Amino acid sequence: MTATLRAAAPAVPHAGAVTDDAIRTHALTKRFRTGQVAVDGIDLAVPRGAVYGFLGPNGSGKTTTIRMLLGLVAPTSGRVELLGEPVPQRAAHVLPRVGALVEGPAFQPYLSGRANLARLDAVDASTDPRTARTRAEAALERVGLTAAADKRYRQYSLGMKQRLGLAAALLRPRDLLVLDEPTNGLDPQGTREVRHLVRELADAGTTVLVSSHLLAEIEQVCTHVGIMGRGHLLLQGPRTELTARRAARIAVRTPAASADAAVAELRRLALDDVTADRAVADGTVTVWAAVRDDTGPAPQDVTAALVRADVPVVGLDVRRPSLEDVFVELTGEGFDVAR
Amino acid sequence: MDTTPVTPRSRVRAAWAVPAVAVVAVGAAFAAPPLLASADTAGLPTVQPDELVTRVLEAEPQALSGTVVHTARLGLPDLSLVQVGGADPVSLLGGSTTLRVWTDGEARSRVSLLGTASEYSAVTDGTQAWTYSSSDDEVVHYALSPQDAARAQALRDDPPTPPADLPTPAELGRQALERAQQDATVSVDAATKVAGRDAYQVVVTPTSTTTLVGRIVVAVDARTWTPLRVQVWSSDDAQTPALEVGFTDVTFAAPADSVLTFTTPPGAQVREVTVPLPDDATLAAHGDVPSTLPDDPADAPLPDGVTVTGTGWDAVVEVSDVDVAALLAGDPSAVASLPDVEKSFGGGEGANQLFDQFMGEGDGPPVDLDTATLYDQLTTPVEGGRALQSSLLSVLVLDDGRVLAGAVPVDTLRAVAGA
Amino acid sequence: MSPADTTAPATPAGAAAVPAPGADVPVRHRGALARLVRAELALVLGRRRNLVLLVGLALVPLLLGVVLYLAQDTALAGQGPPFVSRVTGNGLFLVVASLFLCTPFLLPLTIGIASGDAIAGEASAGTLRYLLVVPVGRGRLLAVKALGALVFAAAAVLAIAVVGLVVGAALFGVGDLTLLSGSTVPLADGVLRVAGVVAYVGLSMTGLVAVGLFFSTLTEVPIGAMAATVVVAVVSSVLDQLPQLAAIHPALLTHHWFDFAEMLRVVPSADVLAQGLAVQAGWVVVFGALAWARFTTADVTS
Repeated sequence: MTATLRAAAPAVPHAGAVTDDAIRTHALTKRFRTGQVAVDGIDLAVPRGAVYGFLGPNGSGKTTTIRMLLGLVAPTSGRVELLGEPVPQRAAHVLPRVGALVEGPAFQPYLSGRANLARLDAVDASTDPRTARTRAEAALERVGLTAAADKRYRQYSLGMKQRLGLAAALLRPRDLLVLDEPTNGLDPQGTREVRHLVRELADAGTTVLVSSHLLAEIEQVCTHVGIMGRGHLLLQGPRTELTARRAARIAVRTPAASADAAVAELRRLALDDVTADRAVADGTVTVWAAVRDDTGPAPQDVTAALVRADVPVVGLDVRRPSLEDVFVELTGEGFDVAR
Repeated sequence: MDTTPVTPRSRVRAAWAVPAVAVVAVGAAFAAPPLLASADTAGLPTVQPDELVTRVLEAEPQALSGTVVHTARLGLPDLSLVQVGGADPVSLLGGSTTLRVWTDGEARSRVSLLGTASEYSAVTDGTQAWTYSSSDDEVVHYALSPQDAARAQALRDDPPTPPADLPTPAELGRQALERAQQDATVSVDAATKVAGRDAYQVVVTPTSTTTLVGRIVVAVDARTWTPLRVQVWSSDDAQTPALEVGFTDVTFAAPADSVLTFTTPPGAQVREVTVPLPDDATLAAHGDVPSTLPDDPADAPLPDGVTVTGTGWDAVVEVSDVDVAALLAGDPSAVASLPDVEKSFGGGEGANQLFDQFMGEGDGPPVDLDTATLYDQLTTPVEGGRALQSSLLSVLVLDDGRVLAGAVPVDTLRAVAGA
Repeated sequence: MSPADTTAPATPAGAAAVPAPGADVPVRHRGALARLVRAELALVLGRRRNLVLLVGLALVPLLLGVVLYLAQDTALAGQGPPFVSRVTGNGLFLVVASLFLCTPFLLPLTIGIASGDAIAGEASAGTLRYLLVVPVGRGRLLAVKALGALVFAAAAVLAIAVVGLVVGAALFGVGDLTLLSGSTVPLADGVLRVAGVVAYVGLSMTGLVAVGLFFSTLTEVPIGAMAATVVVAVVSSVLDQLPQLAAIHPALLTHHWFDFAEMLRVVPSADVLAQGLAVQAGWVVVFGALAWARFTTADVTS
């Protein structure tokens, strides 16, 4: 996370460019011995090269799904394919190409960060022992932990632990990264750095599945999104398609006296769902209306029409629908409900 | 490449089948040898009881080494206290005890009683004997006085065996059969296997119906005619023998010299015991004393204060003027005044052995345990004294200093005492 | 490291067509298992808690030796459990006496801690999931963990033996060895026999290691696995004292532990020693298989 933030949005791979998915599950189900169904018949499809936001409140089955993807938990039924190989049957073959951060970082508390990385590297039968040191240093450098590499893990702050977890996932070049709640415990700066790292990796062609219960943190980097709720995969697809399902809304702020005129003019423009909020302290009112990108008038046309109708426009804003809006629409409940 | 999806359930079942198989395999591995060992003994020619007994008595003593398990179920009070100490002959009174035996078939032998992290050894080279207790690091050396030794040497090449004996099947079996035809019937039971060797079984059943001894079964090796196992059955338990001494493994080969010699270890305490040789007259009267028992106790001259009532299996030995309290206190003078009854006692063999165990303490108890406590544990108060009742032997200690013992019920002893 | 270091072009459209970064097919490097074993041993033997345990065990012969040295001219000299009374005469016995005193409880306690922690410790720290996704095969990881626990058990026994030998030789000197049978063997033979005792005690702990490993796969709470392992050893010793259970005594985990005394008899019985080791092998096979079945099928949710 030494590089600076880039403003550019991540590139979206063409849907037709992928011949097979990086992650694919078929009717994946996990019923625990307690009888609780944590994951119920989900068909996950993560295209190669995608940054897949795996979203859902805590307890919605994200982590159990991730554990099944990595062969830690055996599915009750259904199949998993990682990079085209069945898991857990071919886990030994495919997992070296997969970096993972599962449910927070975990290391031996009495070993230093560097020693912990060296241990994980030693466990990997497919790495070259001669380059072990180089790999560990590169990974530490990449997450900005070089200075603290010799401190015991137990003395690390939450953010440093998270960074070490990322360093472990990046110990070697990966085709797929599975990052479960990578921003947990990070301050806003750290969160930005993680987002940047994800973009950087994606630009290099790595497929990233990143899970979070905080929509806003990930929304900006995702090319694809899957939304979990109560063990079901409620929705998945390219992010733009998901949010396009719901219309953007235009918000016009006008003095209270002109509110009725604004409503009338917007209706005249054939916009739907025109409503006016109540007046606020500065004496203005916000009038809402739904706009459709393809057929409706452009925002500048709306402004012009309002001005022509002598409606004083204090402010005008187009609000794109957020994933949270989509989620609330799908589930009828707030995102953090299960917290 | 494994392309067939493995359903988790069958995978789990297959995995747990492994420990299940492991349990069965391990169980079988430990259970199988004993089962195989009880293989058939077909092909052994049949022998007549008389012939068998003669063979045993005439057989050359064999050089051998082996492990002996001695199991006593005498119905005595729990002696678990005794087990706490190291290897000690008292443990022979109850439960199972393991001994190791080495003999060159002639005069030299070593018998070791094994305890947990301890050992009680008895070594004899023919003219002298040593016992060594690892718990006390104490050696007891038995030897004839120099004059006696010279006399014994002059008399015969086979001098008397000193008394430091631990029971072995070979000795016990031979002694039992020697007396077999006296007041008893002898028959041959089905052949068996002992310590992996084919063995004939001789059954000695006392004709008397009042004795506690039901029968004695001696298993005799079919090749060397060495007794391999002796079982003494009490008359009131037909399920398990009251006393069983048998080899669990045996090799007929001369043991190494180092095993049969004894050198007092540095630092050990040594106690010298001089064994008196009977006077010339006694030796002359008995061709074969005292390496074996006299043919009939009645033939032996009884020491003063010892009387024997009844004959054969019903014999009751009575010793008078025994200071029990002093004996229990380990008073040497009391020990010295104890009449030499060891070789004169004439009950069944098991009873004789038991008696040896008790009275053997007259040589100076190797028992660390509080002897008085042991005495109290073993005996029960009766009118006029205390009595010990086991399934093979009864002992009655009267307050007037008389001690009666025999392979008969306590009531019989009391009747004799009262007579 | 930057994206430029990777082989794939940064053009997203090409991501699928061109081999992605790290798409080199993973190959096993030679010596991978040895590397894994070294890493595990470094972890087990480098851990401060384990070192403290070893030092604690090593203190037993040291303290015992010093106490016996100070008491040797008093009225208390020559008393005590088997072997202890012999130490002042021959320092070699300090090794045997220390093992005799440690075998019933201290040694099982130490080994229970190490083996109970093997898997459960990783599970409770959360590191187990990261080891498994590295990936390392579960059977392989279990085997390496078992090896680590066995090496620790050996280190525990050796700590007692080596310190016992050094302290015993320094305080009391060594010489010809008087056996339990009363025979005396030359020093070289004596050292061999004591080495045999040490080896037998070490091998006698293998069954307990397997039991601990099994418990360790059952839970994410290491202290639970440790306690259960120690309890097994203690319960086994208690059952061994009950004459009513004589039939099962030979199969008990602890029944043959003191058969190391066989090494100190005039003719050590190979049968007795083999029987003791066979029972340990039985426990190792059964509990090793149980641990394997459990660990290779269990969901890792820690």
